[in-house]
Amino acid sequence: MTGFSTYAIHGSRSQQKDLHGALRTPVYDSVAFEHESAEDLSQIFSGRKPAHAYSRITNPTVEEFENRIKLLSNASAVIAVSSGMAAISNILLALASSGTNIVASRHLFGNTLSLIERTLKPWGLEARYVSMSAPLEVQAAIDDNTRAVFLETVTNPQLEVADIKTIAGITSQKGVPLIVDNTVTTPYLFRTKDFGVNIEVISSTKYISGGATSVGGLIIDNGNFDWRQAPRLEDWARKMGPMALLGSLRREVYRNIGSCLSPHHAYLQSLGLETMSLRIEKSCANAFSIARFLQKHKKIAAVNYPGLKDSRYHEVAAQQFANRFGGLLTFDLQSRDACFAFINKLKLIRRASNVNDNKTLILHPASTIFCEYPEKQLEEMNIRQTMIRLSVGIEDVNDIIQDLEGGLTTL
Amino acid sequence: MKLTEGDIMQITVNGEANELHEAEVNLLKLLEIRRVESPEMIAVQLNGEFVDMERYPFTFLKSGDDIEFLYFMGGGSR
Repeated sequence: MTGFSTYAIHGSRSQQKDLHGALRTPVYDSVAFEHESAEDLSQIFSGRKPAHAYSRITNPTVEEFENRIKLLSNASAVIAVSSGMAAISNILLALASSGTNIVASRHLFGNTLSLIERTLKPWGLEARYVSMSAPLEVQAAIDDNTRAVFLETVTNPQLEVADIKTIAGITSQKGVPLIVDNTVTTPYLFRTKDFGVNIEVISSTKYISGGATSVGGLIIDNGNFDWRQAPRLEDWARKMGPMALLGSLRREVYRNIGSCLSPHHAYLQSLGLETMSLRIEKSCANAFSIARFLQKHKKIAAVNYPGLKDSRYHEVAAQQFANRFGGLLTFDLQSRDACFAFINKLKLIRRASNVNDNKTLILHPASTIFCEYPEKQLEEMNIRQTMIRLSVGIEDVNDIIQDLEGGLTTL
Repeated sequence: MKLTEGDIMQITVNGEANELHEAEVNLLKLLEIRRVESPEMIAVQLNGEFVDMERYPFTFLKSGDDIEFLYFMGGGSR
């Protein structure tokens, strides 16, 4: 058994069987788990005995989801959390502290940027923004106080793709962990460990959840970083070696913040995982067809999709993501008013803020997910008032194209 | 090699006093004696310091050693 989908569906056959032989791990909707004696509970709380005690820390349904992701990523450890943003918050809090810095992509998802600038900066964390397409900039920004380098596999909505192996070579040589947000590519298109990434974060709300059923996130430790080099984890590394990050999260940061995934959501996301490869293939194929259609349309000013040969990121994306380019694309109309008028004319495509749903979704990034930033900053982030983002779903592609065509003819 | 009574090793495992009646017990053997079912899911500390899994066969115990087996539930480890 070696295939991605086989593992996604069956998990590890060596895992403990259900008491009644249920083929799906039941939803363990219980906050606490009872044990035989005070001594047992004491042993469990100190980590000396393997058992679940309290669902904010571990839960059997969540554990089963974590173990499947671990298998699919060939990772050392996985922690499922309440959202993709919780995954990023947890990992930054575990690695960085006041007076230190992180080196991050200049083009970050709006909420990630807000987390860094508005939530963590007042606590003393410095962020150094660089172009991840310019490895020398990354190298120059790292110093003795750098605690991590952070980037996204495909930036949203600029759709830039960095050469991650090259960046990983730099971070490895500098002894700094590389964190990659793999939300829009997932371990199906991009197995981060094979490219030297140390930590992967995912918003499992997107492709994994199986159609926007539930909010969730993942922190994946690829087990390829020596945590003795991470100052915040020094004590953990002495006591737990390669499990230092896991120990620090599970027994401190993640536990204390209380950002656990609910068992219901873990169940839905395990279910979503089983069909994920089929859905990704379909959305990538649909996105490619739609990008080609838009490229030829006279009312479209520009189309941005890494799958198009004229994208400057086409080659690196093809090589990193095995010739699939994801389900996100953007295109430009003549003005912001034209964007709004076009979006309002659509009949099938939904006006909503999410990506990688089964449904095709559309929005105007500048006035929605980036609305808190002034025009000058939007320009720096390459968020244009003329830009529309389309998250391509898995409907019949001709129906999506017909809807787009219908909207464009009204302009 | 069996030890004489005076040579029995006194060690502490997860906070409990233990006697080892065999000579040359390494960490791998101790996991077996303690019937640890999933050794890949634990971190082993010897006298407060982590011991790498690859070092288990070469890490021999002596009287007075303090060993901790720390389990990771959830999607950990290795």
